[in-house]
Amino acid sequence: MADQEINLTKTYDAVVIGSGAAGGMAAHVLTSRGLKVLMLEAGKKLPIEKELRSMQWPYDNPTRGALPPDRHSLTFNEYTIRRPPYGPGFEKSKHLHSYVGSTDYVKNIVVDERENPFTGTNYAWVRARCLGGKTNIWGRLALRLSDYDFKAKSRDGYGEDWPISYSDLAPYYDKVDLYLGITGVKENLPYLPDSIFQRPTKLNCAEVTLKQGVQKMGRVLTQYRAGVTTDGLKHNQYRSRCFGRGACERKGGCDIHAAFDSPTGLIYPAADTGNLTLRTNAVVREVTVDPQTGKASGVHFIDSETMKDYTVRAKVVIVAASTLESARLLLLSKSRQHPNGLANSSGHVGHNFCEHIMGPGVTGQAKDLVGKPSTLDDGRPGGFYLTRFHNLTEKHPKFIRGYGFEGGSGARMFPEGADRHGFGASFKEEVRKNQGSYVSMGAFGEVLARYENYVDLDPVVKDKWGIPALRFHYKFGDNEHRMAEDMKETAQEMFEAAGFNIVHVNSRILTEGWSIHELGTARMGSDPKTSVLNQFQQSHDVKNLFVVDGSAFVNASCQNPTWTIMALCWRSCDYLADELGKGNL
Amino acid sequence: MSTDESINLKQDRRQWLKTSATVLGASLLPLPAAAQTGTAPAAPQAKPGETKSTARFFTPAQHTLVEELSETIIPADSHSGGAKAAKVADYIEQVLRETTDDNQKTLWREGLRLIDLMSQHYNGKSFVDSSSEERIAVLTVLSDNDHMTDLPEVRFFRDLKGLTVRGYYTSRIGIHDELEYKGNRMLTEFVGCDDPTPKSR
Repeated sequence: MADQEINLTKTYDAVVIGSGAAGGMAAHVLTSRGLKVLMLEAGKKLPIEKELRSMQWPYDNPTRGALPPDRHSLTFNEYTIRRPPYGPGFEKSKHLHSYVGSTDYVKNIVVDERENPFTGTNYAWVRARCLGGKTNIWGRLALRLSDYDFKAKSRDGYGEDWPISYSDLAPYYDKVDLYLGITGVKENLPYLPDSIFQRPTKLNCAEVTLKQGVQKMGRVLTQYRAGVTTDGLKHNQYRSRCFGRGACERKGGCDIHAAFDSPTGLIYPAADTGNLTLRTNAVVREVTVDPQTGKASGVHFIDSETMKDYTVRAKVVIVAASTLESARLLLLSKSRQHPNGLANSSGHVGHNFCEHIMGPGVTGQAKDLVGKPSTLDDGRPGGFYLTRFHNLTEKHPKFIRGYGFEGGSGARMFPEGADRHGFGASFKEEVRKNQGSYVSMGAFGEVLARYENYVDLDPVVKDKWGIPALRFHYKFGDNEHRMAEDMKETAQEMFEAAGFNIVHVNSRILTEGWSIHELGTARMGSDPKTSVLNQFQQSHDVKNLFVVDGSAFVNASCQNPTWTIMALCWRSCDYLADELGKGNL
Repeated sequence: MSTDESINLKQDRRQWLKTSATVLGASLLPLPAAAQTGTAPAAPQAKPGETKSTARFFTPAQHTLVEELSETIIPADSHSGGAKAAKVADYIEQVLRETTDDNQKTLWREGLRLIDLMSQHYNGKSFVDSSSEERIAVLTVLSDNDHMTDLPEVRFFRDLKGLTVRGYYTSRIGIHDELEYKGNRMLTEFVGCDDPTPKSR
């Protein structure tokens, strides 16, 4: 699909800013309703299959899959010690990437940190500027939220309830399942509702052992619920079904698009309606406002390569630039009518910033697998998900909310355990004998939404395009630290229950941002004084402005957000199309 | 050498450093001392900015030494070929030729010389001329003391081991012959394990 030239004299029905999970879904829903949509993406359209090369053997890659030597990706220590992490000391590498950008396969997908600076507290901010954004490389864990999340305040008194219930969103989760495909196993859990699953893949032997071990403790381990089509999608010509090739293990995406990504899953089909115009390399710097009505009138954007400035008009503006970029754009869009930034009469834009805390976890070994012949363990979209178990029926004395674990086991292309001590014949033999026996898992826990955790605009620092950078004021709090303590203890106790040898217990909390699940900076709510958006992700202040990405979340839950972002967006865009049709926007 | 009587590297190194007057320099001191001098020794073969990525990093003799070092770390055995067969030295050559990290280049040039000094001290001959038992003895001193990261020879050993492991297990021999990796191919069905647990629902 080629970029189309924008008609600058035309007023589009809707302009969508961003092409990730949210922007793609907005384009899909609105074009299928017959609206003329302009999609703006800040990055390039990459020849993505050539980037991902999912089945390339390491020895066929010039750098064995590592980043080329003129590039550097930030390490945990660099995030922790340096502020900002892209500061002095990195002059030698031409390009500097976030921690995710550590392989040859993602180097053009993630941004160059130096072109996209930010300031303030440490944050591992992972940004992908290219068509499809982070959906090109996401982890694919596709979970639903429940009323344990949407009505969390009613349960424990903290924060705010969402202005919707699970029953409002369930039909849209169903639509997302059916349109995009998801694999998993039904468990009938009230706090983790089932999807409409395609063919599941089996657990391997150590995972079954762990499942049985934790079951005795009343806990649930289920197959990794992956946003991957295992049966194929008859309505989508751009995506193949999963062939279990196993490259999912590698940081990077799926070059046959069995794993959902926004371009093949949503944008190309949207373009096939004839209603979508796509403009890449379009860095939006402001949402414009009609001086008479105070309503959104379109956007100003800068061509990322020519630096030329453009203005486009639309009846409705849909912000889907990712949680933090969307907040930044609203704050940048100051006008006489909206002096604190667009949609910000509440002062809540950029605030209530939340995500998932991660790091604590455990690695163990299934003793009975040591020395067994090599097995095929990675030919599937993922390992397992161990669901939340705290603060469901009883109240934990030390913290509120919960966490789940992602994990897996078995042989991989690069052997786990090759970092063992020693060398020589015994080292080599031990690596070989042990390679299939490792099991590991790491926790993802809810970070409470707090007003004091926020982003604003840096008064001095600007990005490559002269646009003010984002400044972070964000730290994990006491609840998160107490939860992290518990994560490492329960991880260990569950591996012990499964009879595994504990190899390593990880208690280190990774830098804020590491989960890449940032949420909450323009939250929904029924009170315009304490929220930015209504239940349809429509601005309380500006009727024809919608913010349809993770920024609308009221809390982070502990369950991964992408599927919820898309279900919410679908629901909001249905409402948007209805309202536009009625002349209410 | 026995593990219960492991060598005191910091004491020993005074001895083997004395054996060569030509290599004394700040780089041979433990790290804090080197930092105090404030000068990093210039790389003998190339100055920053002058290195062309096509120029070989290792001399032929150094390349042979790296081959033997990597083979000592991952040797051929009855199961599969070792680091030499997997051309790990060529991989390391490429990494060092292309890196923009001058400290790493310096570490390797010095490390290779220190290895021979150690070999002379413990075995009375160069590393390449030593028997495989004698080679193992030298690397055991470093491996047993691999927490002493203030010493350049220890930092060299850790980098040598890291690159050898990475080079070997990303090679054809490492992936297919040694580990007999089964994945990265089209599957009709993932075999997995049958789950005897009754359904929880």
